[in-house]
Amino acid sequence: MQPLHGLLEMLVLRTLLFGPLHGYGVAKAIRSSSTEALDIEFGSLYPALKRLELKGWIVSKWEMSEFNRRAKYYRLTPAGRKRLQQEHAEWNDFASAVSRIMSAKPETQS
Amino acid sequence: MSFLRKLKYLVPWVRRAEDRDIQDELAALQAIAGPRELGNLTLAAEDARGVLSWLWFERLVQDLRYAVRSMLHHKSFTALVVASLALGIGANTAIFSFMDSILLRPLPVRDPQSLVIMKWRAKSYTLATSGMMWSTDGSSFDEATNSTTSTIFPFAAVDVLNDSSVVSSVFSYFSASRLGLTALDQTESVKGLYVSGNYFDGIGVRPVAGRLIQVADDAVGSASVAVLSQRFSQRRFGGADAAIGQTVRINDKPFVVVGVAPSTFFGAEPGAIPDVFIPQRADSLLESPVSAARRYGDEHLYWLEIMARLKPGVTVAQARATLAPRFQQFAVRSATTEEQKQDLPQLTVEAGATGLDSLRRKYAEPIYILMAMVGLILVIACSNVANLLLSRASARRREIAVRLSIGAGRARVIRQLLTESVLLSAIGGALGIGVAWWGIRVLTDLLSNGRENFTLHAELNWTVLLVTFVLSVLTGLVFGLAPALQATRVDIAPALKDVRANDATRRRFGVSLSSSLVVAQVVFSLVLLVGAGLFGRTLAKLHSIQVGFDRENILLFTIRPSAVGYQGAALIELFERVRQDISRLPGAVNVTMSTSPLPMGGGTLAPVDIIGVKAVAPSADGRGPNAALASVGPDFFKTMGIPIVGRDFNDRDVAGAPRVAVVNRGLARLFGIENPVGQTLAMRAGRAASTTAVKDQFAIVGVVDDTVVFRLKDPPRSMVFFPSMQAERPSGGMVFETRTAGNPMDLAPAARETVRRIDSRIAVFDVKSQTAHIDQAISSEITLARLCSLFAALALVIACVGLYGTVAFNVARRTNEIGIRMTLGAARGRILWMVLRSVLVMAAVGLAIGIPLALFASRYVKTLLYGIEPNDPTAIAAGAGALLVCGLVAGFIPARRASRIDPMVAVRWE
Repeated sequence: MQPLHGLLEMLVLRTLLFGPLHGYGVAKAIRSSSTEALDIEFGSLYPALKRLELKGWIVSKWEMSEFNRRAKYYRLTPAGRKRLQQEHAEWNDFASAVSRIMSAKPETQS
Repeated sequence: MSFLRKLKYLVPWVRRAEDRDIQDELAALQAIAGPRELGNLTLAAEDARGVLSWLWFERLVQDLRYAVRSMLHHKSFTALVVASLALGIGANTAIFSFMDSILLRPLPVRDPQSLVIMKWRAKSYTLATSGMMWSTDGSSFDEATNSTTSTIFPFAAVDVLNDSSVVSSVFSYFSASRLGLTALDQTESVKGLYVSGNYFDGIGVRPVAGRLIQVADDAVGSASVAVLSQRFSQRRFGGADAAIGQTVRINDKPFVVVGVAPSTFFGAEPGAIPDVFIPQRADSLLESPVSAARRYGDEHLYWLEIMARLKPGVTVAQARATLAPRFQQFAVRSATTEEQKQDLPQLTVEAGATGLDSLRRKYAEPIYILMAMVGLILVIACSNVANLLLSRASARRREIAVRLSIGAGRARVIRQLLTESVLLSAIGGALGIGVAWWGIRVLTDLLSNGRENFTLHAELNWTVLLVTFVLSVLTGLVFGLAPALQATRVDIAPALKDVRANDATRRRFGVSLSSSLVVAQVVFSLVLLVGAGLFGRTLAKLHSIQVGFDRENILLFTIRPSAVGYQGAALIELFERVRQDISRLPGAVNVTMSTSPLPMGGGTLAPVDIIGVKAVAPSADGRGPNAALASVGPDFFKTMGIPIVGRDFNDRDVAGAPRVAVVNRGLARLFGIENPVGQTLAMRAGRAASTTAVKDQFAIVGVVDDTVVFRLKDPPRSMVFFPSMQAERPSGGMVFETRTAGNPMDLAPAARETVRRIDSRIAVFDVKSQTAHIDQAISSEITLARLCSLFAALALVIACVGLYGTVAFNVARRTNEIGIRMTLGAARGRILWMVLRSVLVMAAVGLAIGIPLALFASRYVKTLLYGIEPNDPTAIAAGAGALLVCGLVAGFIPARRASRIDPMVAVRWE
């Protein structure tokens, strides 16, 4: 299990679960829903989008944005939805494993 | 899906569209987002493109593209490297493929180690000659032990030697003379082997199709069956399976083809693959100067060759210890005269695998020598590549420094350099395949030397090719890596400025390495050149051997009418008719015939006397005067151009006429008489000098000058010629010698047609010119001389290229220095000398090492030389001279360029 490897990709998939977004929108959404705790650089986010698209978990399409500008919107595919569930489950396992270790009381030390 | 998309991304226009899409998308986002909010978009786009492509592949393509560009830019450098590698790899693959097919491939029989071949040794043929049926090539007289060794036995010996305590089977065979085989209405002359019923089973060969000859086939009265060789069945029936069940006529008798033997199996008697195997007992159907009753009943008739398979665990020595006494008893029992009892044949048992191996051994020595030579070529080629790469890497130090200074990673630069050198060696290797393919064909031609039925066929050996290819790529890697590592370790600043003082030590290292490589090339080239000189001189000596007749413009061809039933008087009549008809052909000057062409290749010596004259030089072996015998037709000496005193044979020297003979000067010398014409020649009945009984008498009608007799290299030998038309039992086959006005081969079609018109069943074979016949006798020498000269020339060229490259490179490096020297007043001649001196030093060091090495190496080829010693000073001087001259020429070109440098340009040279 390599949970951190796909962390960014999982976050992107999760963000797109609520609806299609363009690249900048994904960055903004991650920043705002993490209450600005996670500030992902666009420079790493953008290749991640391309990687997900290549794997077939998201698809992209040119659409008009809210300000009547053209932008490329990314949308989750059914395969991507399945992938998200799987990664989410794996992440939960991992996070709880880590928190169990971190919260364990030290046993009697000599 | 992702794979497909990545694949699509490799297509240029797809890539362009994708890249534009990414640019558009990022531009659109920039318009939406706040300024600088998106960071470095160029890098983002770059990384995104990286996702879509295979990075390693991208870089490889980039490197390759750059490598190709730089190769095209340095065309001569590229050509030199590629050519030397292609030649080195190709020559090696060709020779090693041959070596594999000749020396390494296992014998196509089961467990060859347990096969043994039977031989016997005696002082002379006493026992056997009383009824020897066929002269065989298997017998040889050994001067050292003063005894004769032979492989032929009487039929009864098969049972005698079949002792089940040491052998599991004993089987026999004998070579058929040429047989006329008619298949699908076409007659041709084929080589046959008579085999005992248990032969194939004993020797352990599996059929390709059908079945092989079995014990039941080899019995009196069994159906006539034959087994064809795979090659023959392929040629005549288009395949092994198609031949099965066919009826062929052998010497006009029907035989059913029951099976096909693999083509890798060339019979127990190597040389040429028999085209057809026939049960031994069937020989009475085909040709038989001696009755079957005698052949299978007479214990004095030695005619059959015998092999056996040892029982597991039995050694050759054990077999000999058991079988020799058994054969001894048999020989004692069969000896009838006192003379025979004094000289009983001793049985020897030899490993059969080596008997089957004689073809291998025949070519083993030349092949090993060729291997050593091509090995040297590869070394020279590889050192050349190394040298060229080395000098090129030094020349590129500045370019590399530039690339490092603008941020290229060291690993990336090394990778780039390696890509170039590996690409170069790969191209060289690829061309090497072509060279190898061509080389194998040339080698087959050279080795077979025009012989029919040549059994050695090598195929391109991919394993060898792979090994040599890997070797060359490794050369590229190693000699590309060393300078690459060195070049990328540079202090960028001085390299960029090309400060000379700073890199003096490094340059000295590079120069000394490349000089030692050149010296090594000179050394190895010299060894090859000396080899070429030795073999070339051997060939010249062989060519200058006086054959004793005029070898030009003679056509030879052979027929064997006994194969289709001609016998006795009919045979003689037919031969004379062929001779008459050929002589009437336009272009034919004289026609004669003989039972074998000169040199005869082998034969027997018979005891002779001149009545009333005492031999002045009794032979050292105490066997009395003896002579080689030849049976020749009318006008033989006139046709061959052999000077004669007395008269030639003519068409009145026939059976019933007074018996005549012509002797050579060698025989006359033996009896100390100048002109023996008019004397009487006697054939003694026994071999020993004491034997006085006379078998036959002949009037000597002529004496001729000495000619070659058996082999080209033999010393002159005494010889007696008899008229073939007077022979008691005419030979079943005859060679016709036709002296022609023009090119003898032009007459060949007409000669074939003439024979066909007389009797279309008679096959004409061994059609060749007399010169070709002589050349066949020295074929291995010719091959070696040609190949060795070829290789030596190759080595010389490669070494000169190396020398030229090194000198040219040094001159380029020293342009600045040369300019300064000239500005300070150095004359052009002095500059020229300065450069040439370095060439001379390298050549001199090379020669100093090379000459002792060549002297040492040449001892290993001693047995292949003729008329010269291995340390032949002419060959060594010629080799050294050629090397020196070529080296100076190679060095002179850049030296001259150096001396013409304009000092003003040179001083500013960077």
